Amino acid sequence: MEILAQLIVSGIALGMIYALIAFGYQLTFATSGTLNFGQGEALMLGALVGLTLVGHMSYWLMIPLVLVFGALQGIFVERVGVQPAIKTKSEFGWIMTTISLAIIFKNVAENVWGHDDITFPSPLPTSPLQFMGIRVLPMEILVVVGALAIMLAVELFNRKSIYGKAVVATSNDRDAAGLMGINTGMVITFSYALSSMTAAFAGVLIAPLTLTGSTMGVVLGLKAFSVAIIGGLNSGMGVIVGGLILGIAETTTGYYVSTGYKDVPGLLLLLLVLAIKPSGIFGKSVIKKV
Amino acid sequence: MSAVKNISIVLAIAVAAVLPTLWPNPYYIHLMVVIGIYAILLLGLDIVVGYVGEVSLGHAALFGIGSYTAGVLHFQLAVPFLLAVPASIAVTGLFGAILALPALRVNGPYLAMVTLAFGTIIQILINEMTFLTNGPLGLSVRKPIWFGHQITGTDYYYIVLVALVLALIVVQRVLKSHLGRAFEALHDSPIASDCMGVSVYAYKVYAFVLSAGMAGLAGSLFTYSEEYISPNTYSFELTILFLLAVIMGGRKTRTGPILGAIIIVMLPNVLSDIDLFRKISTGIAVIAVLYSAYALAVRMRTLKQVTIPVLVTVALAVSGYVMDNITDQRLTIFGVMILFVVYYLPNGIMGFVRSLIVRFRPQWVHRHVAILEQGDKQHVWSVPDHPVTSNGFLLEARNLVMQFGGLKALNEVNLQIAKGSVHGLIGPNGSGKSTTMNVLTGIYNPTAGEIEFNGKVITGATPSSIAGEGIARTFQNVQLFGEMTAIENVLVGLHHTYKHSLVDVVFQTPRCRREKNAAEIRAASLLQFVGLADLANEEARNLPYGKQRLLEIARALALNPSLLLLDEPAAGLTAPDIKELIAMINKIREHGITVILIEHHMDVVMSICDIVTVLDFGQKIAEGTPANIQSDEKVIEAYLGGSAQAA
Repeated sequence: MEILAQLIVSGIALGMIYALIAFGYQLTFATSGTLNFGQGEALMLGALVGLTLVGHMSYWLMIPLVLVFGALQGIFVERVGVQPAIKTKSEFGWIMTTISLAIIFKNVAENVWGHDDITFPSPLPTSPLQFMGIRVLPMEILVVVGALAIMLAVELFNRKSIYGKAVVATSNDRDAAGLMGINTGMVITFSYALSSMTAAFAGVLIAPLTLTGSTMGVVLGLKAFSVAIIGGLNSGMGVIVGGLILGIAETTTGYYVSTGYKDVPGLLLLLLVLAIKPSGIFGKSVIKKV
Repeated sequence: MSAVKNISIVLAIAVAAVLPTLWPNPYYIHLMVVIGIYAILLLGLDIVVGYVGEVSLGHAALFGIGSYTAGVLHFQLAVPFLLAVPASIAVTGLFGAILALPALRVNGPYLAMVTLAFGTIIQILINEMTFLTNGPLGLSVRKPIWFGHQITGTDYYYIVLVALVLALIVVQRVLKSHLGRAFEALHDSPIASDCMGVSVYAYKVYAFVLSAGMAGLAGSLFTYSEEYISPNTYSFELTILFLLAVIMGGRKTRTGPILGAIIIVMLPNVLSDIDLFRKISTGIAVIAVLYSAYALAVRMRTLKQVTIPVLVTVALAVSGYVMDNITDQRLTIFGVMILFVVYYLPNGIMGFVRSLIVRFRPQWVHRHVAILEQGDKQHVWSVPDHPVTSNGFLLEARNLVMQFGGLKALNEVNLQIAKGSVHGLIGPNGSGKSTTMNVLTGIYNPTAGEIEFNGKVITGATPSSIAGEGIARTFQNVQLFGEMTAIENVLVGLHHTYKHSLVDVVFQTPRCRREKNAAEIRAASLLQFVGLADLANEEARNLPYGKQRLLEIARALALNPSLLLLDEPAAGLTAPDIKELIAMINKIREHGITVILIEHHMDVVMSICDIVTVLDFGQKIAEGTPANIQSDEKVIEAYLGGSAQAA
């Protein structure tokens, strides 16, 4: 029983990272119907840039700089990869361009930071805290708090500010928003900036718990796909629940079956959800008007 | 032209057959074998990417499943080559179905996301399932021994060549058949395709499974060619290479995948040899500069359009001279190549060559096979697939409610359509007429209520199955398959008359030819009926608006419907055309087809409808004969606003 509780607690931290990346997918999918297949690489770049900066400053000072870097990276991806494909209305186009940008980023990171994984110095004590026999790393708490905080911040921005309203309007109906004088192209670019920013933030949150390296993003980005689909591509609540489900499913599979198979439940859950409720557990099925 | 084409195909095969004798180096023979194997996979991938328009990021994994099925069967059970290969095709096809069935249920990038996840998981599973796959150590396999003769590398080259030629024939025949037409139709207009009984979902899955089967064939051939397989081969990088090959070679062609296979097999060799890379990248840069200069000179392109591609190619060439080792930059180069092809060579190399040919020798290029069948009067009509059994009402809708968020587009609407009648449906804009059409044909699933058609409840059924039951429709905003010719559009409507299977298509059985001929005569006759006989081989998007509407009627009639829904057929027609349309609708009624007619031209409605239903704000406000409707106060109020007395 204690072991199970321990696995669940560890799964929560992992799940929140998945949720945060998946949240990034939702941001761009809402405004433009596209998503960045290189989201995992955005996370990886954030972590590696953070690693370099941490050599010169404190962890806390580094975070805002990484956020800025993430936003710029997102703008770059949108301008180079997504915008031209949106103009030609080509789904194939944006999938291929975001993937090719992803492999370019990965390759560049390999050449800059090397092939080997590097440990990221933890800003918090690395000795676990004990709660009723369950061990929790301070960093795991920071992951959960940090992930919730940035999601909340983005949601508040979207609901309260006039710029956020432009984002929501564009998500509801891009053409109508455009006719109301909203620069929807700008909104889409902005959503990519936000999306990559959250990914970069997820990168520096997770880095002290795992190893940092050019390949760290691939699997995380992939898991977040499952989370986004399981929770529903248009449901903010969904990604958190989806992330937790997947995170816990993985830690328990890793313990009770084999660590080698811990990536399998993601795909199975994904296929299962698509077969039963394609719009996701919390997603609303949208009626396509003819 | 077709003679020239046939001769060049035979020549190409002959050249491929003598290559090993001219060039007996085992290394090159092996490279050619790999090219052939990749080409088989790419031909299949092109069906998904080029024809159906979905992105698969799992083809390397499917290739791996094919490889490992053959490998495991050979290694663990000593199954012979000729059994292992078909088994690989079947197993990989099955995996394709497991992926496609859930992933294609919804529109959007789901297939790409699911296949990407699948690719990673398969690699992990191959590594983990040591008892079956021998894990990271890989499996060793020997080439088969036939009649006491050990198959050599050169022998194997011929085996792969035969497999490739067979794959080419199969793919060519499938894509030229009604199946290929279904793939193109669903890509062109999914809604129209569904309403013509060609289920978008089913045919997308069909295409993906077919494509997976070919990946399985390629994978199993690869196992015997390499004689050693290990999990690392089937990586994400290989998937990227496959996609690069398909789009670079040229989508929707047979030559493109072969060219693409040559490129991706040669690419690693080029990238490991810096001198070769320098020569080739310089060559490409020179071609790009020259072509851009020419395009600027004849004003085909603007300076803005050519600057970036020229800069990229030149930068690539320069980078070759700056760096002395580019193997580490391999992925960046792949990435840049994909970006370049997506933006500047969207139709690939073969598409580019084709556009050059169109420019200089337009008569050499035929986008469509002309169908010269002549129609006649007796082939226009056919009995419905499901004969009308109900007496009285053909269709009854009870308490239909269709709600979009807070808006009730239809509110408790009851509709009874008498068999053999022409039933008018009128009402001001936004009154719910088209919504009714969409609910009746299954495009919208009603929030509440029930629809009974021909004695069967059809509420909640898919559009394609409703079309199969015998409800055909036209669209208010024309939904033709724009890139197909008029007669091909009608042939999509006749899809249900093709009863033969994939096997018949592959072997071109007499049954297949018989059904094809019958359908073509029927299609030509239908075109003649709506007065488009002379435009049969014209692309639908080039037809004038009014003729497009008539073509939609011909296509709908091809379904052999018992109920035909016409959504504003007279819009865009001239006065004499409208007269012909009325005659046409009367003829349709004479042949026992019940018609529901939405129309704003009141003279049309009043002259041919038996009963007219009037909708306003989603509610039925009146129903009766045209004469009664014209004098109904509520109707006048709805159309003119305010009561007639007050005015």
